Amino acid sequence: MLKLPKGSAFLKPVQATAFLFAAWELLSWAIVPDWPSAIEVGRILWRDVREPSFQAALGGSLSRMLAGYLLVMVIGISGGILLGRFPLVDQLMGSLAVAVHAIPGAAWVPLSIIWFGMTEQAVIFTIVLGAAGIVIVNTDTGIREVPPFIARAARTMGARGVKYFWFVVVPAAIPKIVDGLRLAWAFGWRALMAGELLTSVNGLGQRLSQVAKVGELDHLLAIMLLIAAIGIAVDGLIFKRPSSAGSIR
Amino acid sequence: MRVELRHVSKSFSHNGHALEVLQDINLVVEEGEFVCLLGPSGCGKSTIVNLVAGLERPTSGDVLVGGKPVTGPDASRTVVFQDAALFPWLSVLGNVEFGLRMAGLEPRKRRERALEYIRLVHLSKFIQAYPHQLSGGMKQRVAIARALALQPEILLLDEPFASLDAQTRSVLQNELLEIWELARPTILFVTHNVREATGLADRVYVISSRPGRIRDVQPVTVPRPRHAEDPALLSHQHKILGLLGEEVEKVLREELGETVHFPEAQHPAAPERSLGMHI
Repeated sequence: MLKLPKGSAFLKPVQATAFLFAAWELLSWAIVPDWPSAIEVGRILWRDVREPSFQAALGGSLSRMLAGYLLVMVIGISGGILLGRFPLVDQLMGSLAVAVHAIPGAAWVPLSIIWFGMTEQAVIFTIVLGAAGIVIVNTDTGIREVPPFIARAARTMGARGVKYFWFVVVPAAIPKIVDGLRLAWAFGWRALMAGELLTSVNGLGQRLSQVAKVGELDHLLAIMLLIAAIGIAVDGLIFKRPSSAGSIR
Repeated sequence: MRVELRHVSKSFSHNGHALEVLQDINLVVEEGEFVCLLGPSGCGKSTIVNLVAGLERPTSGDVLVGGKPVTGPDASRTVVFQDAALFPWLSVLGNVEFGLRMAGLEPRKRRERALEYIRLVHLSKFIQAYPHQLSGGMKQRVAIARALALQPEILLLDEPFASLDAQTRSVLQNELLEIWELARPTILFVTHNVREATGLADRVYVISSRPGRIRDVQPVTVPRPRHAEDPALLSHQHKILGLLGEEVEKVLREELGETVHFPEAQHPAAPERSLGMHI
């Protein structure tokens, strides 16, 4: 039996992953002979990431994601602030934001293709539409729901108007905004893959559809593994809250 | 500045009915005076603080500060809340600077003033700490520094030490008195603890519950520093406890719907206890 070190947040996922891979290897070796072996898939992945044309595809996906995500941040946060701050804007646009948020990213792809053709822009547009909604909705909620104790304390210290908004409402909304951004990352990543699968821009999604057409199951799994790894890594590295904040007593 | 409440009543609507919280409150805090409001839980004493702070409006009657009606919150009347209500995203320094920033003080002066008040509450070593890193007593120190840094005319304290342990509470009580003697703001201090009220105040207003009414006013003439075992102080406490004992029973009767009577020796309002703790 593996003995898990106590209090270590790092080793546990590593060991869990190792266990899963061992189970996969065993499965392909002993039970389902047609299923690609984990080691073989890993070898293909290693070969891929060293190959320049694959690196170009990976780089293309990541740069599209970066561009789309930056737009999501700008549009989502400023849109949410407008909605939260001005009741009239909220009445006019609030339900639109909710509706956009309710449409899965992949469902925007056909419209994106009609508007932008099989281009980079179509993919970025898909990311923005797939992910901005959650940021708008969360920012809006965060701004409206300032905890009453904070609002009261701020008012007794003379905070009002624009200063109240920038120095109290916005910082109070930040945890909610960060939650929105975190979900937006996941939604955007999905939308990116959907966009790349259906348009023919050079990226991981397009690679997926290529290897699927020629029936390379091991290669397909290798790319999917990479997609999962990037999704998890960004979520874990950027959004994981520092839990080490100590206490002075 | 003088605080005066004239015939103040306050009702809230509760499930469609009007619930009267305060009834015909007449109360005065003279300039520079330290007044405690004492009463059992739910007697509306926090509402009085909110009215003076301008966070709430009376249903009828007048709330006057310096002879003028209160129309809203103002930095000349700051509040120390029971739960400290610090801004979690700001450091100790940031919290104390907050009101000064709202007042438009330039950064250098703001910093100087904040540091001065942080020193006053002995937190100079923790200026960069965030609220979640502080103990309950330290949070209240920050809340006090934050309220004082604005150099208010009136300092309102709403059960500021209620959730602290006995030792921390008594240290903070003494420090509050020292600070008060230094700057002499007008203080309105809400508590449900008889010992705290008689230990601190020039006068104690005893509030009855449901609806809150002023039951009695007790001037505490014992000179400071006061000693817990001073017979004069104990006799004040005894008198107030007599009045409050009836109140606590009344609250229990209303909540439990039956007759509750405590033998003298096990009275729930013994001085070392907090009133309403067992309700």
